[in-house]
Amino acid sequence: MADSKNTLTIENLSYSYQNGERTQKILDNVNAKFEAGKIYAIVGESGSGKTTFLSLISALDKLQEGDVKFNTKSLRKITGQEYRLKYVNIVFQSYNLIKYMTAAENVEVASDFDGRKADPNKYLEKVGITAEEGKRLIGKLSGGQQQRVAIARALASNSPIIMADEPTGNLDEDTEEKIIEIFRDLAHKDKKIVIIVTHSRRVANKADKVLTLRRGKLS
Amino acid sequence: MFRNMLKRSWLSIKRKLGRTIILTLIFFMMANLVLAAFIIKSAVSAQMDYAKSTLGGTVSIQADMDAIRENQKTEMEQGGDPSEMFKSMSRPSVKVETANQIVTTYTDYIKDYSYEISVSANSYNLETVETKGFGDKGSRMGGMPGMQSMFGGMGTTDDSSDSSLDSDITIYGVNAYAYIDGVDDETVTIKDGTYFDEDSTGSVMISYEFSELNSLKVGDIFKIKNIYTEKSVSLTVIGIYDTSSERANANTMYMNTETAAKFFDTDEYNDGNYSVGDVKFYMINSDNAEEFVEKVNAEFTELAEDNLKFAVDTSEYDSLSSSIESVGGFADTILIIVIIAAIIIITLIVTINVKDRRYEIGVLMSLGASKKNVISQIATELLVIGTFGFALASVTGTVFASSLGNSILESQVTSSNQQSERNFGRPGAMMGGMPGGFSGGSSRGSKSSDIPDMPDGDTLNMKDIIGGGRNGQKIELDINAEPIDYLLLFVTGYLVIVFALILPSISIMRYQPKEILSGKE
Repeated sequence: MADSKNTLTIENLSYSYQNGERTQKILDNVNAKFEAGKIYAIVGESGSGKTTFLSLISALDKLQEGDVKFNTKSLRKITGQEYRLKYVNIVFQSYNLIKYMTAAENVEVASDFDGRKADPNKYLEKVGITAEEGKRLIGKLSGGQQQRVAIARALASNSPIIMADEPTGNLDEDTEEKIIEIFRDLAHKDKKIVIIVTHSRRVANKADKVLTLRRGKLS
Repeated sequence: MFRNMLKRSWLSIKRKLGRTIILTLIFFMMANLVLAAFIIKSAVSAQMDYAKSTLGGTVSIQADMDAIRENQKTEMEQGGDPSEMFKSMSRPSVKVETANQIVTTYTDYIKDYSYEISVSANSYNLETVETKGFGDKGSRMGGMPGMQSMFGGMGTTDDSSDSSLDSDITIYGVNAYAYIDGVDDETVTIKDGTYFDEDSTGSVMISYEFSELNSLKVGDIFKIKNIYTEKSVSLTVIGIYDTSSERANANTMYMNTETAAKFFDTDEYNDGNYSVGDVKFYMINSDNAEEFVEKVNAEFTELAEDNLKFAVDTSEYDSLSSSIESVGGFADTILIIVIIAAIIIITLIVTINVKDRRYEIGVLMSLGASKKNVISQIATELLVIGTFGFALASVTGTVFASSLGNSILESQVTSSNQQSERNFGRPGAMMGGMPGGFSGGSSRGSKSSDIPDMPDGDTLNMKDIIGGGRNGQKIELDINAEPIDYLLLFVTGYLVIVFALILPSISIMRYQPKEILSGKE
C-alpha cells in the first residue's frame, strides 16, 4: 500500500461551526498536497483549527466544502469508514488504546481489520516495546510505552497515511525524541505520508515541511 | 474482519469478568424460567394427550327412566293397576349381541368396553363367610362396589321378585380382572394364583377368607348353582384375591362374563344372546363421545325402543384437563413475563454497557471498524455469554421446572380438594359418583383381552389430584425436558438478545468517532 508516489491532496477545504447565531469559519479554502516519504508538521495557535483539519483529512469528521483525495480517490466518493480502514491511521495524544487488551492485542486488532494476520511483536519491536512488555495490559505500561504501542498499531494497520495529533504532548523530552525518530522512519523508510499536528517546536523542527494554520488558512 | 470481531468479543468477555458474570447470571435465571415454562407446557400438553387417551370418557347404556315413567303414566291413564305395575317393574337390559355389535362397528371410537353379569348363587357343600354390616351374608348384591343395585340391575337374570330365596354367594362376571372395582386402587389384590381374562372361561377368583374357610387352593374345582335357575356350574380356582375394602363381601366370586353367563338357564345361555349389565364403552377420545352416541342411536334404534339411553361421562377428563390447563396457563404467563422482563433488563444492561464502552467504540471506528462491526461484536459477546447461561440452565432447568410445575399443580390440587369437599365429602362424586374413582392409569388403556397393567404411581390422574395421591404418594407432573424444549429455550434466548440489542444498536448507529474521541480528549 505504501508507495513513494502516493499523494494526499486537499482541495478548497472549508469548515465552519455554528456558534449560537454566529457562524465561525475554522478552515477557509485550504489547499495542500502531502507526498509519501515526507513528514509534515502542522503548527498553529490553540483554536486555530489544527485538530479540525486533522479530523477532516482523516475522515473522522464529515466534509462540508472542498475535497480530500488520496491519489485520485475522492473522500466524497467513499465512506469515512472505508477511507479510515484502507488509507489512514491516526495516533492520538491520549493514545486511544483499548484498555482491556494487552499491547500486543491492541496492535493485532488493528492489523486484523484489513484481514491480514500480522505478528504484533514485529511492530512493537520497531517502536522499542519488547515481547514481554507486549503481553502487559495497557494500564500497566507508561505513557511513553502506550504512545509507542499506538504508533505500532498505526504501523500494523499498513495504512499509507499516518496522522498524529499531538503525539508527544504527554511525553518527556527523551521519549519525545524517540517517538519523532519513529515517525521519521515511517516517512523516510516505509514511504508513508506522515502528518503531525503539534505545538512542539522540537517536533516541528524534525519535520520535512512545516505548515502553519492561521485564521483558517494553511501556509 | 470477522475473525477480528470474534477475537475482540472473546477478549472483552474474558477481561471484563464482572460484567460477564452478571450477564451470565441474568441469562441463567431467565433461561431457567423460560425452560421451566417450556417444559411445563410440554408436560401439560403431554398430560393432556395422555388424559385424552386414558380418560377418553365413557359412554354407558342406562335405563331411560323418563321414558319408563312416561310409559307407566300412559298405562295408568289407560286403567292399569299401579301396584301390579310397580311389582313387576324391571329395568330394560342390553343384549350381549347388541353390545358386541356396537363394539365391532365403532372401533374408531371405542378403545375398550366392559359388561357385567351378577348372579346370586348357593353352594352345595361349601361354607360361606359371615360378614357384618353392609355385606351381610345373604345380602343379594353383597355390597360389592359397582354391583347392580336396587332392581337387580340390567343384565342380571335374577328374579329379584322372589324374595324367599337367600343367596350365599354373589357371582360377579366382568370382562377381565382389571375391571373389578378396587383393582385400580389396589384395595383388591391377588394373594395367590393369577387373574382371569376373557379366555379364562370356567375359572373363578375367590376371596382369601372363603378359600381358607373351605380349604380351597388354586387349581381346586367346586360347584355352585344359581339360586333361581338351579343351574349348576363347575368352577376352577384360578386365583385368590384379598381385599381391604370395608364394603367387601368375602363371598363374592369373580369370573369372566362368559363363565358367569353359564349360570343362566341352558336355553338362554345356548342362545348366546343373554343380557348384560353396566355396559360401558371407553372412548379413544372424549371429544368424539357425543358423535359416537349420535351414530349408535341412529343405527341401533331398538335401544331407544327398549327404553335404553346413552350417558356420556367425560367429567373426569374435563376436571383433569381444567386443572392441567391452568398449570399450562400459568406457564404461559411466566413465559411472557420472563421474556418481557429479560428484554427490558438486558436492554438496560447493554445500553449502559455501550455507553460505558463509547470510547472503545470510537477507537474501533477510528481504526476503520464499521458500526455494523461494532454492533456485531456486542451481539457476539451477548450470544456467547447467553449460550453459556442457557447451557447452564439446561442442566438446572428440569429440576426447577419440576419443582415449579408441581408447586403450581399442588395449588390446583388444594383448590380441587376444596371443591370435592363441597360434594358431600365424597371425592368420587366429582367422577360421576364412582366409588373409589376412576383411575387414569393404564388398565383402561388396554383391550380387555390384554394383560391388565397395574396402575403406576407416577401417573397423574384425577383421583391423585382430588384425593391427594394414590396410596399417599406425592402428586407429580411427569416433567422431562425434550430436545424441543432446549431448542425453544435457545431460540427464545437468542430472540431476547436480538430484541435487547435494538435500542443500544440505534445508539451506536448515531455515534460519530470524532465526537467520541474529542469528548474523551
